Amino acid sequence: MMPSRQSISHPPRVKRFLVLGLDSVPPELAFDKMLDFMPNLRSLLGRSTYGPMMSTIPPITVPAWSSMMTSQDPGQLGFYGFRNRADHSYQALTIANSLSLRKPRVWEILSRLGKQVIIVGVPQTYPAKPINGSLITGFLTPDITSQYTYPTTLRGEVEQVVGRYILDVENFRTDDKEALLRNLYEMMEKRFKLFRHLLQTKSWDFAMIVAMAPDRLHHGFWKFYDPEHPKHDPGNPFLHCMQDFYQAMDAEIGEILELMDDETGLLIVSDHGIKRMDGGICVNEWLMREGYLSLEEQPRQPIRFSQAKVDWTRTKAWGEGGYYARIFLNVEGREPQGTVRQADYEAVRDALIARLEEIVDPEGRNIGTRVFKPQAIYRECNNIAPDLIVYFGDLHWRSIGTIGLGSIHTFENDTGPDDANHSQYGICVLTDPGADGAGYIDGITIMDVAPTILDRLGVDIPSDMIGKPIEGGSSCPRDS
Amino acid sequence: MPTQRSRTSDKVTIKIPRPLYDKIAVLIDGAGYNSVTDFIVYVLRDLAGHHTDKSERLCDTEIEKIRQRLETLGYL
Repeated sequence: MMPSRQSISHPPRVKRFLVLGLDSVPPELAFDKMLDFMPNLRSLLGRSTYGPMMSTIPPITVPAWSSMMTSQDPGQLGFYGFRNRADHSYQALTIANSLSLRKPRVWEILSRLGKQVIIVGVPQTYPAKPINGSLITGFLTPDITSQYTYPTTLRGEVEQVVGRYILDVENFRTDDKEALLRNLYEMMEKRFKLFRHLLQTKSWDFAMIVAMAPDRLHHGFWKFYDPEHPKHDPGNPFLHCMQDFYQAMDAEIGEILELMDDETGLLIVSDHGIKRMDGGICVNEWLMREGYLSLEEQPRQPIRFSQAKVDWTRTKAWGEGGYYARIFLNVEGREPQGTVRQADYEAVRDALIARLEEIVDPEGRNIGTRVFKPQAIYRECNNIAPDLIVYFGDLHWRSIGTIGLGSIHTFENDTGPDDANHSQYGICVLTDPGADGAGYIDGITIMDVAPTILDRLGVDIPSDMIGKPIEGGSSCPRDS
Repeated sequence: MPTQRSRTSDKVTIKIPRPLYDKIAVLIDGAGYNSVTDFIVYVLRDLAGHHTDKSERLCDTEIEKIRQRLETLGYL
């Protein structure tokens, strides 16, 4: 490894630090609606500094967890979602993985200082990079036959402890909700069991787990839980599955807390929140109707955009689907058959923003779409940023990339049943041992997590980290 | 970098702290390794085992498996 530029320069406030990551858990549930079912979390809140935590734009697993662990925004990291343009051609997209990261994450900084780390299930850790400790890669690992542990010899130990490790739920888009729910419980239980085993059998200074199960639960079961969801049925058999699962998750938290001593700092965090999904906006259909996108031939049935015969000589913009939309302009001298003159770029972008913000629902009501220019929200824009980032209906509507549906609005996801979309705020619960927490606070951002961990461990915070350590409540430096 | 490379040799010399060398020598005494070097090579091979010369990019099969999972999950 390269020599570190960081050094341990001020007295640590904790001996060790542990991060519990609960993908997608929103403040509305963790701090309010589910709190009665979460006695361990409730007890923690009484002595913690906590509040909603603003995620990245976009609030998506990639880049959010990596931004959290590097304190760098997606533009600085140079990836803006799971898939990013590899070049300025119309088709080449790459999927961000651990090799896409050029900035050290907290555990890499600590590894270089000789501290021992345990990392389980954090997204964007495949392929595994060498660390000073143990690593189980995240859900973007191809499958269980891949090398999902570091060191390689750890794999046998994993299988001895939990049997077949579950990287992610299989067959997520199933209508067999009973089976999906069982799979989610099994995935969560195995992951926490493995994490506890590693905590108990390895030396560690920093440990982190990310449970993906709550995110999959939200997407798969939100309509059963949320009375405001358009497809909610109050008599459905899964009405209580959300609270049951949160209760089980709280029990897992409790078992971790039992393994902690009074010299260990703790963060419970999520990478984004969740909200009901009202429907989908067919972004490319909309662009066609608005005159930005032309096809050489209309599809007779719904097809992926990548399969469409686009007339690029008459196209100004196209879009990608997902929980949010990315829109790309077809710029002269940049794209192979660019049509937007460079001099007109900003005017075309502004006009497009104005039209996007006017999108209405089928009843003619404005859905409150928000549009971002990457250059306005990131400190840098490395690699190829989208020209616009779009939250349809402030993320109550997802972006549908498919064309040929014959409508701007759809109430079925093009990738199968899905009840929820991501929201901008996740959670942050910081517990400093031996200190009173500051209670509920506003203003925490996802960029504050990495500096907080380094601060508590007495490690200099790299000057290019965006965030600041969370203050916490009154406390005394730990005797060391 | 603390390495020396001979143009003709397929091996390089790496310097490690003397106390660490001494500690390893005690550790492997009677454990079946011919030398401290043998032990270090064994450990490093294990640690670097899956970082072969193709580690800088995933193969097409791996990428397709990940893409399908992302699509199924709704991210794409």
